[in-house]
Amino acid sequence: MVYDKIVEMICEQFGMEPDELNENTTFIDDMGIDSVDVVELVVELENEFGLDEIPEEELKKIRTIGDLAAYVSAHSDM
Amino acid sequence: MKIILDAMGGDNAPQAVVSGAVKAARELDADVVLVGIEDQVRACLAACGGEGEKRIEVVNATQVVTMEDEPGMACYNKRDSSMTVALKMLKEGRGDAVVSAGSTGALLAGATQFVKRIKGIRRAALGPVIPNGDKGVLLIDCGANVDSTPEYILQFAYMGAFYAQRMMGIEAPRVAQLNVGTEDTKGGTLQKEAFALLKAASDAGRINFVGNAEGSELFTGRFDVLVTDGLAGNVMLKTVEGAAKFMFKQLKGVMYKSTPNKLAALVIKKDLAGMKALLDPSEVGGTALIGISKPVIKAHGSSDERAIFNAVRQAIACVQADVAGAIEANIDHMKLEKAKEI
Repeated sequence: MVYDKIVEMICEQFGMEPDELNENTTFIDDMGIDSVDVVELVVELENEFGLDEIPEEELKKIRTIGDLAAYVSAHSDM
Repeated sequence: MKIILDAMGGDNAPQAVVSGAVKAARELDADVVLVGIEDQVRACLAACGGEGEKRIEVVNATQVVTMEDEPGMACYNKRDSSMTVALKMLKEGRGDAVVSAGSTGALLAGATQFVKRIKGIRRAALGPVIPNGDKGVLLIDCGANVDSTPEYILQFAYMGAFYAQRMMGIEAPRVAQLNVGTEDTKGGTLQKEAFALLKAASDAGRINFVGNAEGSELFTGRFDVLVTDGLAGNVMLKTVEGAAKFMFKQLKGVMYKSTPNKLAALVIKKDLAGMKALLDPSEVGGTALIGISKPVIKAHGSSDERAIFNAVRQAIACVQADVAGAIEANIDHMKLEKAKEI
């Protein structure tokens, strides 16, 4: 559910198609977006899933859609 | 209408921002919110006689975004900074526009992250108006995106045209692409591919594209919007600023060279002051972050009271013009099937 929601948000925000994305898709190398875009997505996710602010050191470890989905699943009450 | 000011942003903050806000609240048709370290903001209000001003509200923020902060992460890491709080207030509808004289990069990233771009807009752009003796030329993008794609350039052209229409009062803005020559085939891959998109949009009657332009044409009045990638746009803007400073310095040298020259300078002193005012950032107000879903104005980093006042005036005009609304209504024409990455 979290993964699907993230994919939906990425497609809406960056004009991509769901079949272009998978858990191993990296934000910067595969999707070609920059760190500002990644943070924009993260802020959106914080609002969507009621997350506390993701610390910068944790944020730096998130490279793929799968990493992000795992972080959100582990820290969200939803 | 309510304009939100980042009271802690800029070289002369918070005093210049607070003084400018007081002047704006008294002379312009808007309420003003000052976001910043409350004790400091209130002390500045007292210093400029603005205590108790009914149209001013103070909102506390405990942090300040500085020039040392990494621009892309500054607002994210400093959630209680004056800049972030101001942007979040805008997003939540607690004001109609934000003005900040703080870090350009941090403001652009923060606006993208917290206020959001207009849906479908790939990148927000910086669009200063360069004086040309008439209504000016909107230079877009002038530094927000050093890497661009043909689609970004197409979107900058549309956004620039809507801005020129609604903010500069030009009915059918003439759009040109900055290039190394005026012929259609000039430039690198980016310029050539962008040229094809711009021409197609023009042929469809959606923008008024007048072709490529060289940098030397900036002040000729041949076009109203000059579209380019952020790298070239920023180099051009800084070169123009540097050249203007150099010319004034040289002119000053000539005027003080001899007694007859000094007398001649005295005769034209008023006209020279007018010419200098034309290039003075404090008279212009600020640069709009075009493509963000709500108006965000970047005031010059060295803004004084007058510059802040003019930036608030520009913010009010931006709200009234609803540039974002015009972009949003035309977004379907501004997107390619799929974003092409270079």
